[in-house]
Order: sequence, then C-alpha cells, then structure tokens
Amino acid sequence: MAVTVKTFANASEAAGALSSDRSARYLGGGTLVMRALNEGDVSISTIVRAQDQALSRIDASGPRVTLGAGVTFARILAERDLSFLHAPARSIGGPAVRNMGTVGGNLFAPNPYGDFTVALLALDATVAVQGGFGARDIPIEEFLQARDRQAGTLVLSVSCTRPASADAFRYRKIARIKPKGGSVITLAAHLPISGGRIVGARIALGSMAPTQIRARAAERALEGRSLDTATIAAAASAAAEGTSPSDNALGSAWYRREIVGVHLRRLLSGQE
Amino acid sequence: MLELRKDIFADERDDNLKEIGKGTQRQDMLGHITGTSSYFGDHKLQGMLHLKVVRSTQAHARLRRIDTTEAERSAGVRRIIRGADVPRNLNTLLSLINFGKDDEPSLAVDKVRYKGEPILAIVADSEREAFEAIAKVKIDYEPLPTVFDVEDALKPGAPVVNETYPKNAFIYHDVYDHQRLRFGDADAALATADHVLEQRYQMSPIEHAPTETNGAIAAPDTNGRYVVYTSTQALFFSVDTCAKILDVPSNTFHFIGGTVGGGFGGKVDTLTEPLAILGAMLTGRPVRYVFGREEEMQYGPPRGAERIYIKDGVMRDGRIVARKIRAYFDSGAYTRLSSYAAVKCAAHLPGPYTIPNVYGDVYCVFTNRTPATAMRGFGVTAMDFAIECQMDKLANLVGMDPMEFRILNAYRDGDMKAHRREAKNTALIECVQVAAEKAKWPIRDEFRRASSRTDGGGSRAAIPPTPTDSRARPTAPAQQRTSYDRLPPTVTREPPREPPPPSPPPPSPRPVTPSHGATRFSSVFGTRRR
Repeated sequence: MAVTVKTFANASEAAGALSSDRSARYLGGGTLVMRALNEGDVSISTIVRAQDQALSRIDASGPRVTLGAGVTFARILAERDLSFLHAPARSIGGPAVRNMGTVGGNLFAPNPYGDFTVALLALDATVAVQGGFGARDIPIEEFLQARDRQAGTLVLSVSCTRPASADAFRYRKIARIKPKGGSVITLAAHLPISGGRIVGARIALGSMAPTQIRARAAERALEGRSLDTATIAAAASAAAEGTSPSDNALGSAWYRREIVGVHLRRLLSGQE
Repeated sequence: MLELRKDIFADERDDNLKEIGKGTQRQDMLGHITGTSSYFGDHKLQGMLHLKVVRSTQAHARLRRIDTTEAERSAGVRRIIRGADVPRNLNTLLSLINFGKDDEPSLAVDKVRYKGEPILAIVADSEREAFEAIAKVKIDYEPLPTVFDVEDALKPGAPVVNETYPKNAFIYHDVYDHQRLRFGDADAALATADHVLEQRYQMSPIEHAPTETNGAIAAPDTNGRYVVYTSTQALFFSVDTCAKILDVPSNTFHFIGGTVGGGFGGKVDTLTEPLAILGAMLTGRPVRYVFGREEEMQYGPPRGAERIYIKDGVMRDGRIVARKIRAYFDSGAYTRLSSYAAVKCAAHLPGPYTIPNVYGDVYCVFTNRTPATAMRGFGVTAMDFAIECQMDKLANLVGMDPMEFRILNAYRDGDMKAHRREAKNTALIECVQVAAEKAKWPIRDEFRRASSRTDGGGSRAAIPPTPTDSRARPTAPAQQRTSYDRLPPTVTREPPREPPPPSPPPPSPRPVTPSHGATRFSSVFGTRRR
C-alpha cells in the first residue's frame, strides 16, 4: 500500500484526520517521520500535514511564553526573547536538523533524543493538544506519561513561564560526539529562589527512563534550602533515585546511574 | 603551511617530483562541487523493481522454517529469492586469488551466524511494498549458543560459528590456525630484562559511515548480458565475485561504477550486486538494491575489532630486548578480508623498531558478530595504536623522554627486521626529529644528531638463533590493567646484554630456484608452484 500524504489548511482538520486513522502520523519537520519511512516502517501509511500559521507562531513578549508546535529550533535560536531556551535548542542535532526539527516533534522523540522536552519538563510547560474530542491543555508531565497513547492527538503549542532570572534555569546535555551526538543523559533544572531559598525546584532528566522524567528525590533535597555545597551534594546523591535508564550504544544503564549525580552536582554548582 | 624538507635524503631520489606542494585539480572535483557527478543511485530505469532483504533477528540460530506464503501474496511482490535460487550460494571474497575456503552464503540456508544476516530477498514494485512483504515473512528460529569474544571463541567447547572453520579460527595453508612470527628467543630475553611490561589493548569495530550507502542497480541488456550500476570501490573484483556466485562468465556483465560516494574499504564486499543481478535474471526487469542507513550502520561490514597483548622486556638504558605479541582479529561470522588483515599484521611486527627478540601470534577469529572487512590500513592500525601506547609506557617506565626512546629503538638502514628482511630507507629517526622540532619538544643533542643511515647493520643485521617452537599454544593470561606509572623499579640489574653473535641465515624453508617449475613461498598463498 502506498503512503498517502494529506495536507490541511488548519490544525483542527489535521487533528481530525490524525485521530481517525491509526496508521497516520503528523509530519512536522520530518526528522523522525521521514527517517522511519525511509527505514521501512510499514506502520505508517498516511502522512498528515497542516499549513496552519498558528502552528508556527511564537509569543515571547510577556512572562508566559508560547511556542507553536511547528516552531523550529533554528527559529528559537534566532529569537532574542527566548535566550533561556537557546542552550537546549542548540544542543539538538546539527544545523540541518535544527532547521527542520520542531518543538512539537521533540515531545515524541524517543531516547536518545528529545532534549528540548527535558527543558520543557523542568519549566513545567503546558501542552495544548487537539484530539478527536476538541482542544485541551495538559501538564507536560501528564502528557509524557501517556505519550504512547497520544498518537491520535495533534500538539498545537507548548507554553511555559519565563524563568525569573538567567540563573534560575540551567541545562546540560552529555553527549559523546559534539556537537551532534545523541544524549547520554540530559539534565535541566528550574530553581526559583525566594528569600535566599529554593521554592518549587524542578529537575528533569532525559535518557534516564523510557520518557523524560523528573528527579523528585533530588527536588526534595533542594526544596526550601539555599543552594549551598551540602544541599547540592544531597541532591546529587539522590539524582538516580526513581530512574530506570536502559543500555544503548551510547552508554549502559549502569554508567548513566553512575554519572547522573556527578553532572547534576556540576549543573547546580555552575561548573562547566 | 606545507614545507618540503628536501635536504633529508636528497641523494636518495631524483628531485623531479612536481606534484607535492602545489594545487592540483582533482579530476572529479568539478562534478562534485557543481552537483553533476553521477552516482549509481541516479539511474532511474523504466520498470525498475526494488529489492530488500529479510535479515536475521538472531545472532546464531538454526532456521527451522521460513514461511513466505503471506509475503508472496502481498501487493506488488514480484519474486522472493531464497538461498536455493542462488547458483553458487557459498563464496569467500579472496577465493578469486585462491586464498581461503568458501564460507559465506549470499542468503542463509541452514542457519544464521550473525544478527542481520540476509535470509531472503524480496523483489517488489516499490521499496514500500518490499518492506510490507518483509513484515509478513515468518521465520522460525532455533536459537544456538553464541560467542562474541575472540578469546572465548578459541576455547575448547566454544560454539562453532562457521562450520567451514570448526575451531573458529581461519586456517592458513590448510594447517596453521594463526600467523606466527619467531625471531630470536623472546622468553630468554624477557627473563633477563630489567623491566617487563605486559599490557592488553582493544579496539572496537569502526563503521566507514559513507554518505552514499552500499547499493547497485542491475538491468537486463541485449544478448543475455546485464548492465550493473554500482557503488563498488573494487569494480573488477566485484565483476568476478558476481560471475562466481551467479555461475556465469564474467563477460555477462557490464559494470558501470566510477563515482563512489565514500568507500574507505566498506564497498569492496560486493554485497548488493549479486542479489540485484539475480533479481534482474529472475524477473527480467531492472532491479535496485540499496542499503538503508541503519542497514549500512548495523549490518554493513565494519573495520574489525582487535584484541592485542604486548609483553616487552626493556633494559634500564632504554633498549627494548624482547617483544612478545598475541593479537586476535575479530572477523565476525565470515572471513571476508580479515584473514589477510592478520597476515599484514604479522608482517608489521614489531613495529618500526629494531628488537633482537620478537615473538608474534596473530589469529583471525570467527564470532557471531557482523563480518568485518577492509578499512584504511586494516591489520596495522590497531596494532600501531597498541605498539605506540606501549612505547610511551616503556619510556615512562625507564624514565626516558618518549621521543628519545623512539630514536634509540628505531630501526636503521641495514638492520635485520623480525621477518628476516633487511631494513632499507627507514627514516623513522628523521621523522621523529622533525616532529620534535616542529612541536618545540626538546631532545638532547645526541638524539638530534642520530641518523637512520648510521650505526645500523653490523651486529644489528644478524638473525639471532631462534629456538624451535615446540610448546603447546600459550594460554590467555588474566587481564592486566595499566599500572606502568606505579611499577616499582626492578631490583635486579643484569649487565647489558651482549648482542647475540651473528649467525648465518637459516636455510630457507624450500630451496629457491628462480626457474620455471620452482616453488616459492608467499605469506598469502603458502608454497606455490610457479
């Protein structure tokens, strides 16, 4: 059976086509879907596209930032108001992949990819999706937990609150090949400081579980404390708690568990 | 900036070289930068079909049953090719030069020996339809014990990977399960050396990662011939390999190659051409078979993995008196070109140094891994990595500068090499001197004055008495970690070892008479009648 390409003028029509066909995939930048097709993934027989301007909109003027699902990493890097997202955007692929890869597609990228989503998880982003039953907003954590069941929904946009200061949001990707390698592990931390103490710490990890996850034990070690050596050491020693990494060509599960605390300590103490 | 040091060895060559040091247009450059070079994949032929192979999901398994009934009914499928359809379904690449036994089927028949081994080829109207048919093939595997480690594979009782070589080692000249080099008495020299350092080195397989993946398009031509557009980097080698596998004269084929989108050794194995041609023969239509990227990375042949043990004896004054090496080439499940890599490796020992006692065992081993093949300098690259790491460690051990240590031990013109050839045009000393100078690395005057053309030969040209090898094969020692920087200085101090008295070269294995009908010995072919 040949592959059919369906192109729609607006996102809700595309969402309808997506939810009614189990073999349909939405084509954003194509860095995942075209690769799958080229490698002979016969589970895809319909490609759905949407030419909706709303999908590529960036709203970065206020304290709440919204990125359309079709916004590419190259565009994020070109946006001065999104400087807090430049490090995660720059860590993805090479220029060609950043020119095509999108924020929405990254939400579905399996290990060792999906680095931008690690940043969004630390920033407690909200994912706006359009399913068969209309549009709704889902907290990113909930979205990721049910990611395997999201195939029939279309992501419209992602939004998050801008961190209060440049220091409050930190990101680190560990790769063997620089600058284009897949992630050995990826870490992002959002550390809002109030009265010298961390309030509402969020640590997100990539490649430490089947999807991006939060390091809740590490967050608890940080919560309500000042970011001093003892606190950082406590968070680092708890970093691997609750994770379930697996082996792949870039690193073993054992190795990932060993290094996640080291890199969290470096991230929190501001070391390169 | 390029600088030509024409002062070095000026008397050894005619100074009429005129290419190096100036810009020369590559003949294919214009086509590449203007995007007009034509690759095999640029040919779109009328009625062209697409071939994809069903690959083993198991590293080692017996094929109980292959069920293609559903796949045959799948839309667009023109032909399913099995091992029985391949005229000569057993080949080894170097059989073209009478080296090695046929050990690899084009399509697996009784069992699979590595994950990704081709079992069936499906020819369909489109790649997509071929992929859909592949998904409908049912294969019943009976998993067999696997072996992935070269030393484990050589142990008694290891699973037999390839029945052509039941001991999991390539057999040279029908007798020898490894390449062996003996020069002097390495064990005696190690016993009297001031320091002995044994280390283990290992290199993983390396993928060539060409931009263009392996592939070919074959089309029926007039007069029963076939035209083949191919990515091969060894066109005539591929022609003859296809002629053998398909059991037709080689003039049946008109191969068109030329532009290779990156080869580096990864496009000599002729993996796509025989099946593409067979597809064209069986369907009467042009057939295209090209590896996907994952196929290229996962199942395309890499540079083989190697494991190397080096045990060196060194005197306090820095002279290396013995070098003992065991090396294992991981050939994967089939020979391809690794047998030749082991020969090259043995010929390279002990590196570019004059060492009076050298002992080498080099094995080409079969495991349940992807078959390895050629890649730039294969057979030598990993061994050089190991030897040069070892040289740094030895220099550290005796407290010498690593550059000076290399100059001290470098071979010089007139020295006898371990495989009993006189060293000529050696030039290592001069290379080290220039490298040190360029890196502003200070070396002492006596080393700056050293020359590869002086102080060689003489006692260094002698072939030392070499004991006959009657012991059983040495067993693998326990793994040793690097500890050279923590080794205590050895207490015993032997007087500097006298160079062994020169002795006449041992008689040649066979009398050499340069007349017709004489036999000659070659490391690849063994004894051969000319």
